[in-house]
Amino acid sequence: MCDIIWCKKEVDGKVCNTVNYLDPYCFWNWEGKVNCAECGAVYYIHMIQGHMYKGPEERPGEKPDTSPLYADKPLDGYTNYSPGVEGRTRPFQCLPRDIYLGVPDMVKFSVRGRPVRGWRPQPPSAGIAGSMPYSWDLKNGSPEVWEEYQKRLNSGEVKDW
Amino acid sequence: MAKDLRVTRIEDLPGPKSKEELEEMKMPYEEYCRQQFDVGNEFSKPQALDGIRWLSTTMYIFTPHSVANIAEMGAEVIKIEMPRMGDPMRHTSPFNECYLYPLHDSRPMTGAGMGFLGANDSEYYITMDYHLDEMKEAFYRMVKMSDGLTECYRPGTFDRWKQSYRYVQELNPRFIYVWGGGFGYGPKCFGGSYDILGQSHAGLGSVTGFHETFGGHCAKHSNWCIDWYSGTQITFGMLAALHWRRKTGLGTMIEFSQVQAATRCLGYAAPLYGRFGIVRQRWGNWDTQLCAHGIILCGKSDFPDAKNPQDKYDARYAMVSAFQDEDFKELCAVTGNQQLYDKYKATKDRVEGEAQVEIYAALEKWAEDKSRSEVVKILQDAGLLAEPVMNDREVYESEHFRQRGSIRWIDDPTYGDVLVQSAYSSGLMAKTPRRQTWIWRTVGADNVKIYHEMLGYPMSKVEEWYEKAWI
Amino acid sequence: MAEKRDIEINSRADTMDLMNPEIRPWPVTPPPTAEWVMENTYAKRKAEDFGKWSEDNLRFEYAFAKPEALQGKRFLCAGIWRLGNKFCTALLAEAGAEVINIEPPGGDPLRKLTPFGREEYMLEDKMTGEKCGLDFLHEMRGQKSVTLNLETEEGQAIFKALAAHCDAVIDEMPPGYMDNLGIGYRDLSELYPSLIYCNIAVRGTWGPYKDKLSKFGQWTLEPFGGCANAFVHNTGFPQDQLPRKSGGSPTRSGVWFADYVAGEQAANTILAAMYWRDELGGTGQFCEVTGAESQLDILDFDIGWYGFNGSIKARTGGWDPNLNQYAWNPCRDGYMMIGGQTDRLWYRIGMCIERDMPQFGRLIHEDPILKEMGARNALEMLTKTYTMTARWLRNINRIEAEEKLMEYEIAAGPLLFIDEVAEFPHFKYRPWVATIDTDHYGTILYSVPPNNYQMRTPHRVKSMGRPTGFDTYEILQKYAGVGQTKVNELKGKGVI
Repeated sequence: MCDIIWCKKEVDGKVCNTVNYLDPYCFWNWEGKVNCAECGAVYYIHMIQGHMYKGPEERPGEKPDTSPLYADKPLDGYTNYSPGVEGRTRPFQCLPRDIYLGVPDMVKFSVRGRPVRGWRPQPPSAGIAGSMPYSWDLKNGSPEVWEEYQKRLNSGEVKDW
Repeated sequence: MAKDLRVTRIEDLPGPKSKEELEEMKMPYEEYCRQQFDVGNEFSKPQALDGIRWLSTTMYIFTPHSVANIAEMGAEVIKIEMPRMGDPMRHTSPFNECYLYPLHDSRPMTGAGMGFLGANDSEYYITMDYHLDEMKEAFYRMVKMSDGLTECYRPGTFDRWKQSYRYVQELNPRFIYVWGGGFGYGPKCFGGSYDILGQSHAGLGSVTGFHETFGGHCAKHSNWCIDWYSGTQITFGMLAALHWRRKTGLGTMIEFSQVQAATRCLGYAAPLYGRFGIVRQRWGNWDTQLCAHGIILCGKSDFPDAKNPQDKYDARYAMVSAFQDEDFKELCAVTGNQQLYDKYKATKDRVEGEAQVEIYAALEKWAEDKSRSEVVKILQDAGLLAEPVMNDREVYESEHFRQRGSIRWIDDPTYGDVLVQSAYSSGLMAKTPRRQTWIWRTVGADNVKIYHEMLGYPMSKVEEWYEKAWI
Repeated sequence: MAEKRDIEINSRADTMDLMNPEIRPWPVTPPPTAEWVMENTYAKRKAEDFGKWSEDNLRFEYAFAKPEALQGKRFLCAGIWRLGNKFCTALLAEAGAEVINIEPPGGDPLRKLTPFGREEYMLEDKMTGEKCGLDFLHEMRGQKSVTLNLETEEGQAIFKALAAHCDAVIDEMPPGYMDNLGIGYRDLSELYPSLIYCNIAVRGTWGPYKDKLSKFGQWTLEPFGGCANAFVHNTGFPQDQLPRKSGGSPTRSGVWFADYVAGEQAANTILAAMYWRDELGGTGQFCEVTGAESQLDILDFDIGWYGFNGSIKARTGGWDPNLNQYAWNPCRDGYMMIGGQTDRLWYRIGMCIERDMPQFGRLIHEDPILKEMGARNALEMLTKTYTMTARWLRNINRIEAEEKLMEYEIAAGPLLFIDEVAEFPHFKYRPWVATIDTDHYGTILYSVPPNNYQMRTPHRVKSMGRPTGFDTYEILQKYAGVGQTKVNELKGKGVI
């Protein structure tokens, strides 16, 4: 055991088998208690230079100092806990937005409200040998976006900055 | 024509020659700059490198940027990518969240990641599988019609494909050939490289970040700064070579190691080690040679109720600079730390490590119950230098950058409304300003324009090559 | 090799000379020989021909036998305190131009800067005993030092005379300073229409957020530029990985990085303007490059990203949110950088680690989410990948990791400190840093310009910084026709 904790605790007759990832910069030199994201078992660890100097020792009934950032269950189709699942994984505050997707964000309008081609799928191209024109026919290519844009224009949502 | 001495011409008299000139001479410097740089009217002026044509067989950021620099100054750049695949940088996107989707041929779900932005703007895009013998002729035709090429393949690859400088100088002695990559000739010649390798391998990472004494680790510059910065230095090599070619008519080959460029910006690190054996270390948010001149943590965020976590949690840092004696004295007075001034009156004393630890701790203690803007305002009101550490939103909203034109929205022909911070910000030129025409084009977007219109291949051939994925 | 000898160390002063290049020459161990490289590097890739051609045509050692690209070009620089103007003119000088650097009679205050205020780390001019800081000496390479008080009429007249001989003037004085003195672009362009004039600044010499002076006249220096363009905000470890103040804060670059970027873009701006003037029939022009903006130019896609969906880039420590793997993580004796994003490279890294640690294959390669290139960049996937990678790294040191990864042709490298950089086999072979035996300061180890490796016009370092005003007599005699008697007289009046 080291900078993952593969939890083998038996809960209701089933082995927990959750892998808790202890990310290297946070835990490289660290002493304290950390919980398993799945079953909540609390482990005391003391890590020095990335090595488990002591632990993980189970500390039933004690409160964890922190949680892993990510955990998954490889024997269970890799179901997982993303960062910030309350009581299971550690929140991660240092993010670019208040929402976190981790998958492509479908965007049709820029922050100032004008059309930007940030969504899929797009209509197929008709160019020869991959050629692409120097204009974007929004009105005919994506009429629904065009219509929404007209509405935005009329309601004054489209800004210069 | 000889001057007629009987005529008094206004041109010969000292002082302003016209009403406009009189105005100009009286104009405050600020106004004068605005008028000279004339932000927003870039397209009414010529471009410095008009007529230069450059081939860009590049990937990622480092070598592409070296060529984008000249594209922004008016050179015609042809970016060549592998058929269908394109530059791997097209697949990079922060946390997988941010892609632009062009009209597509075969892969409707594949976008181009934001990571591709800024390094290849204002260029033409074609595709070519240049290790095929069948494509050699087209490649050589382009060499004959161009001023230079920048490539980034592993050393010897272009040589194996018979398109290294050894071969192309025979076709075009004026050709300027740049190889940019990790290491260059020598024992680690074939080692691959990225920005981050430059940062780590060449020493920049060893001097950035908080020291382990304070619990810190070596920090990576979050931006791919060594890629960009090294690319710009290649541009310098290219431009210098162009000047020499004006004289001699001869091209050259430049072999540029990106990793090495990171060692170049370490300032006193090399001479200090060479003479005294002292190894420069990282020193967090302070300065090794000046004090006070550092970034401090303030107690409160400027935007505690903002939704965005960067505003909410991190608008808390201020850069404070008062290293000259009088400034430092004032700083100590304003922050109620008179004892520090008494203790560290001389520059030499307060720059010492222990003194810095004490001084910044006292400043952060003082700032503990204040927000970033309060800290900045108190110090500025005292006539000192202090500024907030700004985030991307604040930079976007900065009136300064808007007035100077460094950040602007462009109407990209392929993707629509895109905010760009590149090109215009790399330097103002009054008569031949840089500009950005489009952010990038799709893979092979200009195949017909180049293969058919410039190189003269019939359309049937262009289409055939495309079918076979040779282009 | 130097002889062994017994020494006694009672104080730091006793150690000062032990590293002197005369006693401990660089490199400490010799670099690999050309034959070794032929056999162990080029031959292994069956690239002997190419390797030989490269070494024959590009070698550092041959630079002085080749012409200089900017020979005959001349530049005049008035700038103190910052490295932007110094780096710009260093590049120009390395490429062969003559650079005249104007300093106030007391010298550029940058000369006085030394790490932690330690005078013992300054170098002393053998002739005058004048001490000079290493940043200044290192970045003032190749340039000539002339002292001139630009605030006097005589000084301004001489400055104008010097400008007559120059292709461009580089100005890194506070906003409007030169203009107020009547020697800014407005005045010089009247005299010399073909003159190019380039300001360098931190945030600018004009605009609402232009550079400031404190009420006592203190200058705005780096990292103010990086603070104004979000570069600092974006660098450092997240507070979720390290506590604030222990590295978990936005972090400045260890060097005055924006100054370097401004310097090189200024040099490019000037060369492009000269090309337009000389080749395309243009004239001189006014230019301005700033640290805050030229660094903004290279801020990846960050501002564009805000425009896309309101994201504000957050710092990500040793990891990169755009590529996986692409990070440095701690290992047994420091930090190890590993990079490889495309499937081809990603699986090669995995194979290399899996060989020592089969569990890596089990947890990483078999995870369906990690099979897709884009999806690998999600925060949780970075966390998983790098936790497992660091688990491998903690058992091995940097060189072992590098050797293992090199077998799989992975772009990987140890995070090196300057002493290690100076002794890394490849780096001392090319070399990355080299020594120069100077007339005033003895032997100096310096960073070699990366444009030094060229077939026809390699850039090169011919001298390091000079003592204050060392070239005054020569330059004033040659370009301003001011003889020694007059120079001495002006010195007495505080003009020179």
